[in-house]
Amino acid sequence: MRLSVLLGAQTGFFLLLAIVWESISRLELADPRLLPSFLTVLGVLGDLLTQRDFLMDLGITGLEVGVAFIIAAPLGVSIGFLLGEKLFLGQILSPMFHFMLSVPQSIFLPIFMLLLGIGFLEKVVFGVTHAIFVIIVTTTAAVRTVPRDYVTVARTFGATPRQIYLRVYLPAMLPVVMTGLRLGMIFNIIGVLLAEMDASRAGIGRRLFSWGEGFQLDLLLAGILLVSALTIIINEVMRYCEHRAARGHVA
Amino acid sequence: MSSEVIRVENLSKVYSTREGDFHALDKLSFAIEEGGFVSIVGPSGCGKSTLLQLLTGLLEPTSGQVLIDGIEVRKPLPEKTGVMFQDATLLPWLTAEENVAFPLSLCGTDKKESQRRARDLLKLVGLGDFINHRPAELSGGMRQRVAIARGLVRDPRILLMDEPFAALDEQTRFKMGEELLWIWQETRKTILFITHGLTEAIYLSDTVLVMGTKPGRIIEVIPVDLPRPRTFEMISSEFFGKARNRIWKLIQEEAEA
Amino acid sequence: MSKPSLIRYAILLALIALWFLVTAMEWVKPIQLPPPAGLWAAWQADGSRFLDAFALTAAEIAVAILIAWPLGIGVGAVFGSLRAVSAVASAILGSLFAVPAIILYPLFIAWVGMGPESKVLFGVIAGFFPIALNTLSGVRQVDESYVTMARAMGASRLQVFYRVVLRLALPSVISGLRIGTALIMISVVVSEMLASFGGLGYMIAYHRTMFDTGHVYLGILMALLTVLTVNWLLSMLESHFSKWQERGADL
Ligand SMILES: Nc1ncnc2c1ncn2[C@@H]1O[C@H](COP(=O)(O)OP(=O)(O)OP(=O)(O)O)[C@@H](O)[C@H]1O
Ligand SMILES: [Mg+2]
Repeated sequence: MRLSVLLGAQTGFFLLLAIVWESISRLELADPRLLPSFLTVLGVLGDLLTQRDFLMDLGITGLEVGVAFIIAAPLGVSIGFLLGEKLFLGQILSPMFHFMLSVPQSIFLPIFMLLLGIGFLEKVVFGVTHAIFVIIVTTTAAVRTVPRDYVTVARTFGATPRQIYLRVYLPAMLPVVMTGLRLGMIFNIIGVLLAEMDASRAGIGRRLFSWGEGFQLDLLLAGILLVSALTIIINEVMRYCEHRAARGHVA
Repeated sequence: MSSEVIRVENLSKVYSTREGDFHALDKLSFAIEEGGFVSIVGPSGCGKSTLLQLLTGLLEPTSGQVLIDGIEVRKPLPEKTGVMFQDATLLPWLTAEENVAFPLSLCGTDKKESQRRARDLLKLVGLGDFINHRPAELSGGMRQRVAIARGLVRDPRILLMDEPFAALDEQTRFKMGEELLWIWQETRKTILFITHGLTEAIYLSDTVLVMGTKPGRIIEVIPVDLPRPRTFEMISSEFFGKARNRIWKLIQEEAEA
Repeated sequence: MSKPSLIRYAILLALIALWFLVTAMEWVKPIQLPPPAGLWAAWQADGSRFLDAFALTAAEIAVAILIAWPLGIGVGAVFGSLRAVSAVASAILGSLFAVPAIILYPLFIAWVGMGPESKVLFGVIAGFFPIALNTLSGVRQVDESYVTMARAMGASRLQVFYRVVLRLALPSVISGLRIGTALIMISVVVSEMLASFGGLGYMIAYHRTMFDTGHVYLGILMALLTVLTVNWLLSMLESHFSKWQERGADL
């Protein structure tokens, strides 16, 4: 119930934002070339969504984000899990990953472009590097939050190591790992979009950038609206899964 | 002219909740004489904390009034009433001395003067050697002593205490009671003391007010005619046993009702 | 020094040695990865231009910080203390934070041009959300009993807020500042890379298109050191203000 109240309030907020935007245009408070009205932009967005080449660009970005996530998620979770379990290795490497997390990956973009050229591979790898450190670090943290008592109790009941992993570790870690995955996804999207904006020939990021350069603000705002909506939906869905996974956990 | 410092007249408090109005207190009346030590006991949820918040001016009564020194309480009066709760709520980044001086800093008292007062009071509660310790470096009992000192720092005539020792272990709790009596004798404050401990209530007080529940009201006033200073042996006296049984029975009946 | 950290330094040294080796043996093209001497050569050739660029970037960052810090703390503090709306505000800020700020950058260029203003604006937007979110959750988590106590001691509303609530929330606020400031710095540099005529990011991007790889790596190194230094300063501040918190844990 609480969740639906929050969701309602969020929707309300965005509606309000749309109304304010539309009113600004109706009252002619802003230059329509700089801020076309909300409804105009919505119409442009509708058109865009029927254009084949735009959908292709959207698809490319989606593919890059998807592939990067499919690589980063299992890899990050496995590394994080190993670091949390094998204590000595964890002691050596965990601070390094922590450090990498605090280093903003975006700054390395030119290096990726020099090393990998400009294209699909570069963007996917860039997405992976954005996502993976946060996934590793949260997974390691998740392993360490599994109360030792759980494992001890499971052992005294004669659980096999396999059972301990599947029945004890996994459920106990899940909510925190999901948070890591969600953050990884957000960072991943940032990485891919950034790579597309800076010297790329395809993808939604490129589109946004050239619309901006060409002062096509109706198209630009339509694109921004679409990307915002998509990322918010992805974030909320993943947050909902997190919520579900956390059910039955005591703090 | 009596020397009443606290007077409660027809005090009622109704909480409006989602399930409707809830009568937490219903027409309470009582008075406390200057220098008295009065305890309040009653079943859980009977409105003791509500009463204390009304006396502090943290809550507004639905009807009736609270008079302190003959003046109606409408907002906190820190110069007249010092307060203490179950949780010491010391500010964790301040030292014991700074915590005690905190209420003075709120009203802009001179820094040197505040410091001097805080130190004197910490000595009074037996923490003269701990003025520069932070809350995390003090035991539970010590933290409550700091809270007592803080409650006294503006030199109020009244000390209102809501289960101040409830979170302490039994031995510490007894010791704190002894200490509180000593402080009370030294400073001649008027103390209103809320507790769940019947022995504690009788041992410390001149009068025990027993509260009933649904709605919260006073069902009996029990005077404690034991000489001062109180001693540990008194706890096993006949009077003490009878008083305790009486209160126990009253509370049992209330809780079952 | 502990064994794990010794090993970490060894790994770092090994990586640097590897850099020397790989470039000396020409296993990678110098156009992709310059030898360490290449950075030094770049510094000697264009050191003063790099310093000028750094000054501009630093100024943009400073202005963005001066705006984003008070704005984020203010918004977070206000919505955190309004109990009725804080949960909703936190959900809304959270979902806005999920939107990659980078997509707004083309819009800012169109609105205020390619000068420092759009960089600052972008930096402010990127840094605002984590600061506001952390402040909000810090203020929200303050135990109500502290407020009750302070009021009983005669504190005015303002005093309760400044002397108790905000101070209790401080560790959380500072960790928001740390995350937010890193984002501000990186956003400014990245925006310079994408479109501008000055600053460290511009130097990096310009020399990448010229394939002056030494310059590219030098620029990235300078930006990185800046971010790391500020990050380090803020984490010192953070641990200073949360010391009592850690010790308080063992009641
Ligand atoms: N803000 C509030 N809104 C609604 N009901 C409240 C509120 N505060 C307290 N109550 C209700 O009023 C009654 C009295 O509460 P109060 O805290 O005063 O009891 P108490 O005697 O101090 O209990 P305890 O011995 O457990 O501390 C309880 O039933 C409680 O649920
Ligand atoms: Mg109570």
